[in-house]
Amino acid sequence: MLHKLLGSQQAGLSLIILALGLLLTFFAGAHEDKASGAAVNNFLNSHTLIQTATDASFFAIMAVGATIVIISGGIDLSVGSIYALAGVAMAMGLRGLGASGGWVNVTTGLLICLGVGLGCGLLNGLLVVILRVHPFIVTLGTMWILRGIAFVSSKAESILVPESLTTVAKASLGLGASLYPVPMLTMLAVAVIGSVYLTRTVMGRHVFAFGGNPEASRFSGLRLDRIQIGVFAISGVCAGLAAFLGASFYGSASCGDATGYELYVIASAVVGGASLSGGKGSAISAMLGALLIVLIRQSIRTLRFDQNYEWIIVGCAIIIAVVLDQGSAQLNARRLARAASRES
Amino acid sequence: MTSEAVRFVGVGKTFPGVRALHDITFGIGTGSLHALCGENGAGKSTLGKVLAGIHPPDSGHLVVFGERVRFESPREALAKGIGMVHQELSFCENLSVAENLCLAALPARGVFIDREATNRRAGEMLEAIEATIDVRALVGGLPLGQRQMVQIAAAVGAGARVIVFDEPTSSLSQREAERLYQLIARLRARGVTSIYVSHRMDEIFRLCDNVTVLRDGRQVATQPVASSDEGGLVQMMIGRSIERVAGSATPATVGEELLRVTDLSSPAKFHDVSFSLRAGEVLGLAGLVGAGRSEIAQALFGLDPKSTGDIDLQGKRVEIRTPSAAMAQGIGLVPEDRKRQGLVLQMSAQSNTTLPLLERLARLSFIRTDEERDLTATYFERLRVRAPGLDSLAAGLSGGNQQKLVLAKWLAAQARILILDEPTRGVDVGAKAEIHALIDQLARNGNAILLISSELPELLRLSTRILVVRGGRIAGELSRAEASQDALVRLMAGIAAQVA
Repeated sequence: MLHKLLGSQQAGLSLIILALGLLLTFFAGAHEDKASGAAVNNFLNSHTLIQTATDASFFAIMAVGATIVIISGGIDLSVGSIYALAGVAMAMGLRGLGASGGWVNVTTGLLICLGVGLGCGLLNGLLVVILRVHPFIVTLGTMWILRGIAFVSSKAESILVPESLTTVAKASLGLGASLYPVPMLTMLAVAVIGSVYLTRTVMGRHVFAFGGNPEASRFSGLRLDRIQIGVFAISGVCAGLAAFLGASFYGSASCGDATGYELYVIASAVVGGASLSGGKGSAISAMLGALLIVLIRQSIRTLRFDQNYEWIIVGCAIIIAVVLDQGSAQLNARRLARAASRES
Repeated sequence: MTSEAVRFVGVGKTFPGVRALHDITFGIGTGSLHALCGENGAGKSTLGKVLAGIHPPDSGHLVVFGERVRFESPREALAKGIGMVHQELSFCENLSVAENLCLAALPARGVFIDREATNRRAGEMLEAIEATIDVRALVGGLPLGQRQMVQIAAAVGAGARVIVFDEPTSSLSQREAERLYQLIARLRARGVTSIYVSHRMDEIFRLCDNVTVLRDGRQVATQPVASSDEGGLVQMMIGRSIERVAGSATPATVGEELLRVTDLSSPAKFHDVSFSLRAGEVLGLAGLVGAGRSEIAQALFGLDPKSTGDIDLQGKRVEIRTPSAAMAQGIGLVPEDRKRQGLVLQMSAQSNTTLPLLERLARLSFIRTDEERDLTATYFERLRVRAPGLDSLAAGLSGGNQQKLVLAKWLAAQARILILDEPTRGVDVGAKAEIHALIDQLARNGNAILLISSELPELLRLSTRILVVRGGRIAGELSRAEASQDALVRLMAGIAAQVA
């Protein structure tokens, strides 16, 4: 059992995250809690931990969707723009509707975000299927188009969202003041749902088959167009959900939100072991990948490195993480080989 | 002492999950033709690749022309005069023959490619093996036989004195194979040593001097071909004697008509194809490579959107435009290229088997894992699929077991009309016998089978009737009584029967 757990795809990544966490705890130092006067570790405290998870959650949610696209052999560069457009559409929609009750606002806002995300995802999928253009090109195009629409319609203004949304996104759920676990919990839920989708449902299996060998999938009677449209729709919905959370959490939306997120999203998926050639990946690992990236950024701050080096460090870390992942896969394969030769 | 070109000394090789080679030791005389034979997965290709530097051995070493060597790359092997002609030919298909042949050292003037020099040098290389191929043609547009010639020219041109042929005729037409045999004979006359990996007995007996038989990565025997007999070699390869499939001594009872095809056509592929298929029948489809057999099969399975014509199933006209429509009508297709069309190699054996029928195994779109497992286990047992586990990757299975997976897929999907396109290509002797028995049994159970095969003995043994396709048209039909190898070849090639 333990063996199986250690050999799993997530084990290596979890260990790295844990090790980095311990390292940070050890080197972070401590400060005095203002209320109680007790020493509090600068990293290992509920506030910093939840804050780190919150930072990760917005693109981790998108990374789950993007991983599904990547497993199908595609790529979605437009998620950041979908995020911006969904956020802007929600903020403008709610402003246009005027004052209404708290829960009405929340529900309407959520529906707008998910609807815009779904619409944009379907657009991507349909363009890929109908025009038979590679997803990289299609989503490169829609990346600019969608952000452009957000820019034009919002007139580049930052638009406030009703406070009721922020109340929900920043609900403390009884954890105490200034602790906001909602984005983190949403991220966990999305990763679990994504994982169940990929490993337990017919659609999920079809995504793996299509990404692994489209030709054999066609010969097995799978409806390839549906699969492809489906994965982009999912990715769009994830971006819409992230936009709802993000805009609500920060209290406003603008067309410049989530600029460059598509790269963080893809990096998370890849650090999580997804193969850009398709057929391989995991939703949980994508979330862990996002957490690792945020943790590395966090460590630059906690360990008081020069923040100007952030991009260089994150870039190196992504390449190292992927190389380590490949290395451990090879080690695993060799271990299996030894086991097999002992048996024979 | 006659010189040895190559000697394997205690060579061993392990891959993830398998011990591919085990303590292989034998020598190959200079200028001789040495066959490596064995079932799929026996390690014969691996041994060839060890020699060609593609897989460095884990243990043991090689002696090449008296010198102890260890190759870490094909380039190092080639430097010592060893080249390889691969089963799956690897070229830059978007480049010309000349560019491919000179790729390692393209003639250049400054930074620019010297096209004339490139073409001239490639022309010389092709001339050296007496092949006539346009050096400016794109490799992607050449038929397989010619690509192989290009690869041989590349090996010889690079100074190879030992050439490893890895199942070179597995996808060649009879005529192309004939040309290859002649070329190998010419190379031999020039003192080139050849290692010939094959499991086709006729080739081994026709071409080779000596033969090494491998089984499960171990060397079973090395002996002169002259003192071997076919039955003995086969027995060594599979480690037991094969029970001859008794043919269909009592042919299955032919039942109602399941499929009627009328005037099926597809532009530039095939024209006016009409036939009917009854329950319990095995209808053979013979023809040369490129005659349009696979294309007809794919059209019946909804893979050819341009096809026209009528298809009736049990007397009812149906529209089959997609594979899922074909499946819904109870049609299954085992495609000719199992790795490309039949399997998702990095998925498990189980996931491959259940791929077409997941919807049926699911409740509310969630796959019922227990039922999936039970169903797979049932069909694995029935087809005797040998896999380390249901979860093992399809990529790790031998050719025969992979083919059984593809068959299991359609049996589990309960296809009543089965189209089998080269169901035993690249499959070892044991699995082949099992697949033949299975086809027989399926027909007895009332399935209707359309069998495409390039192996005439296979068609003759299994079919109740044989249709011959030539140039995209049905050239003739032979009943079981009329069918013979000779009659088939004449129809396939379009030669009129001799007046007796």
